[in-house]
Amino acid sequence: MAKKAYIIGSGCISPQNTVDNNWFFESVVSHESDHLNAIEPSYKEYINPNMLRRMGRAIKMGVTAASIATTEAKVENVDGTMSGTGLGCFEDSERFLLALLRNEEQFLTPTSFIQSTHNTVGSQIALIMKCHNYNHTYVHRGFSFESCIMDAMMSFDEGKHTALIGGIEEHTPIYIDLNQHAHKLDSHIDHKYFEGKDLGIQMGEGAAFFVLSDTNKNASSCIDGISMLYKPEVSKEILLKATQFLKQHNTSLENIDLVLFGLSGDKDLDKHLLDIIAGISKTNAVGHFKHLCGEYHTAGAFGTWLANKIIQKQNIPDAVKINLSNKTSVNTVLIINGYLNINYSFTLLSKC
Amino acid sequence: MDALIEKLKVQIIEQLNLAEVKPEDIKPDGPLFGDGLGLDSIDALELIVLLEKHYGIKIQNPADGKKIFESLRTMAEFIKSHGKS
Amino acid sequence: MISAIGNNVPEALFSLSNSKTGIGKVNHLTTRYKDEYLLGEVKLSNKELMDVVGSTAPGLNRTSLLGMIAAKEALVNSGIDLKDGLRTGLISSTTVAGMCNTELYYRDMVEKHGHLEVLDFHDCGESTERIADHLGIKDFVTTISTACSSAANAVMLGCRMIKSGMLDRAVVGGVDSLSKFTFNGFNTLMILDKEWCKPFDENRKGLNLGEAGAFIIIESEASLKKRNGKALAQVAGYANANDAYHQTASSPDGLGATMAIEQALAMSGLKPADIDYINMHGTGTPNNDQSESKATVNIFGSNVPKFSSTKAFTGHTLAAAASVEAVISVLSILNNKIYPNLNFTTPISEFNLSPVTKVTDAQIKNVLSNSFGFGGNCSSLIISKN
Repeated sequence: MAKKAYIIGSGCISPQNTVDNNWFFESVVSHESDHLNAIEPSYKEYINPNMLRRMGRAIKMGVTAASIATTEAKVENVDGTMSGTGLGCFEDSERFLLALLRNEEQFLTPTSFIQSTHNTVGSQIALIMKCHNYNHTYVHRGFSFESCIMDAMMSFDEGKHTALIGGIEEHTPIYIDLNQHAHKLDSHIDHKYFEGKDLGIQMGEGAAFFVLSDTNKNASSCIDGISMLYKPEVSKEILLKATQFLKQHNTSLENIDLVLFGLSGDKDLDKHLLDIIAGISKTNAVGHFKHLCGEYHTAGAFGTWLANKIIQKQNIPDAVKINLSNKTSVNTVLIINGYLNINYSFTLLSKC
Repeated sequence: MDALIEKLKVQIIEQLNLAEVKPEDIKPDGPLFGDGLGLDSIDALELIVLLEKHYGIKIQNPADGKKIFESLRTMAEFIKSHGKS
Repeated sequence: MISAIGNNVPEALFSLSNSKTGIGKVNHLTTRYKDEYLLGEVKLSNKELMDVVGSTAPGLNRTSLLGMIAAKEALVNSGIDLKDGLRTGLISSTTVAGMCNTELYYRDMVEKHGHLEVLDFHDCGESTERIADHLGIKDFVTTISTACSSAANAVMLGCRMIKSGMLDRAVVGGVDSLSKFTFNGFNTLMILDKEWCKPFDENRKGLNLGEAGAFIIIESEASLKKRNGKALAQVAGYANANDAYHQTASSPDGLGATMAIEQALAMSGLKPADIDYINMHGTGTPNNDQSESKATVNIFGSNVPKFSSTKAFTGHTLAAAASVEAVISVLSILNNKIYPNLNFTTPISEFNLSPVTKVTDAQIKNVLSNSFGFGGNCSSLIISKN
């Protein structure tokens, strides 16, 4: 990927007050719970009621985040829309499935089935924008959102100029209950994400969308590149890949002003990333973000939103910091995200 | 007939999740689809299930819905002539 | 490829060549409508599929099994050695993923907290990772879900990644198993035919659902040269457009489909007259076949090439449909044959277009293959003789 992708608009719905595009950690919203619920806006301000009546939460969050992003970017159309979601519209899937099982396949209505398909958010965006261009949905765990970035950057090399990309995930009360019984979750408010002491994750949800452009006009930051790594065996493999990735972009770890880690909070799942943090925190400013949004397939989209804001505002919020940073300017941020110790990704953002 | 129409209003609002619509907004002879309530083909399928669930009437061919769901009154008339209850 | 018409490509070719449909009475899927509807089921049970794969790993579901078998067949036939230092990716697609198992246990999970392990095997990425691990692919994996056009988009992404230099080759395609969830979903939309589907027939009533795993391997010329490989065919064009008309229905003017075909043609540098055969999406629903016919006429005018929908053989295999049909398109090119549109008798009066209804010999250099899906997703591929 030769061209950069400039962020010219963003919209984020998360367990923080991010709906307001001007808010930036004036106060952190702490959730003393094993799951972090998104703080949702009044959707009526963003979506027409006739469309709204059928939408599940994932769709509402996704469409609204996309709308905030396109409004900020002042674009009415894009050359491509790429959406990422690991679980899709889970609420509708669950509703249709339970109705099917409980009524023994009778009296079923189509709405929740139609809305349950993974590409619903992307297609609703196309419908609302009346956009006939390229539309794609990625559904691969911790690569879902990252595949969107890759696709958009590739499309710029192919001659396209704009893209709307995003990551969306929702949880439901039943999904939370099942996870509480199936997995170890943690609800400590002082959960030690980066000390490697605790077990269990905090579940999260949200949606973040970005309008990307191949030119830097009105850009808040730019994405220089993305790379993904599947099932590394040791932490060295991750570090090596990160080093190679940075080299491809003519830089190296020493030049990175902030390395932002997507730690899940579970010391076993995070063992490789914790190794890396221990290795680089003497020389690099390091931070993390999933304690603010929770763990989910497309948490990388929240991480990207955060990195973009940090560069735009030239301010690393205290809530993000793992070590003390004396950086006065933040020109480059490297996100190293992990999901289930299976999907790792590297996203490089810089000031433009 | 009028009682049935009133009942249908409430059932339609519930089935189609028309949060913004009040029963008095739906006119007995006004069109349900297109310019009327703004319903579409998916709503027609929802109404077919409504007839099956509440009135025991099975419609096999979705194309038949067009006539039946023209307005509240045509719907009520259809139920009267086909329904078990 | 594994589908209702055979557990591998030679078996599928035999069925196609003999006009033998794979759609029939329900054998494997548990549903109260078992005796009312027809399905294009893969003939093997889960147990038999596990025997083929040689694994009984926990959480291994029918979707993953079909994918593992199909992708492995493609890889073995290609003669590729994954350890030769070239970069290989896996781009799969699915809509059902683990739902085929989740639906069996969800009540127990929700009401009694039983079978909770199933939760971790539900998502789409899980099935792709099973396939990747089965083949030994590590360089790149991702999964696409754009409803019934999914696998066409997987082919497209693979081509783009190879062109951009990110990969040397990619295993691309899709997989969906039959599930109560999708079966009942389509049933609520009232677009299932209780008899054999009749694509492009005036009296068509709907589609028959099917299941399949189908993969093709695409490779750069440089990579082919390096390993002395030979290509079966080439992907000459691809495009993805959105109808932006309705969440499920296709537009009556076929706008999205027209755009996809037009852009794929433009990319290939071919003129409409260069297309020798169209493998249509042709699901057999009143709406799709009308919209697709319109798009076909929009592009080809009164010179519509020979065409057929092969869904009356395989059923509509959703996320796998485009890769099933890519394999059939390659078979058409290799054998210079058009495989028929079964069950057709009367043309749609609005268009008066008649598909090929018997196995037909024809010189085939360029095939257009269409795949359209819910959410307005329209994708077209052009596959050409090498």
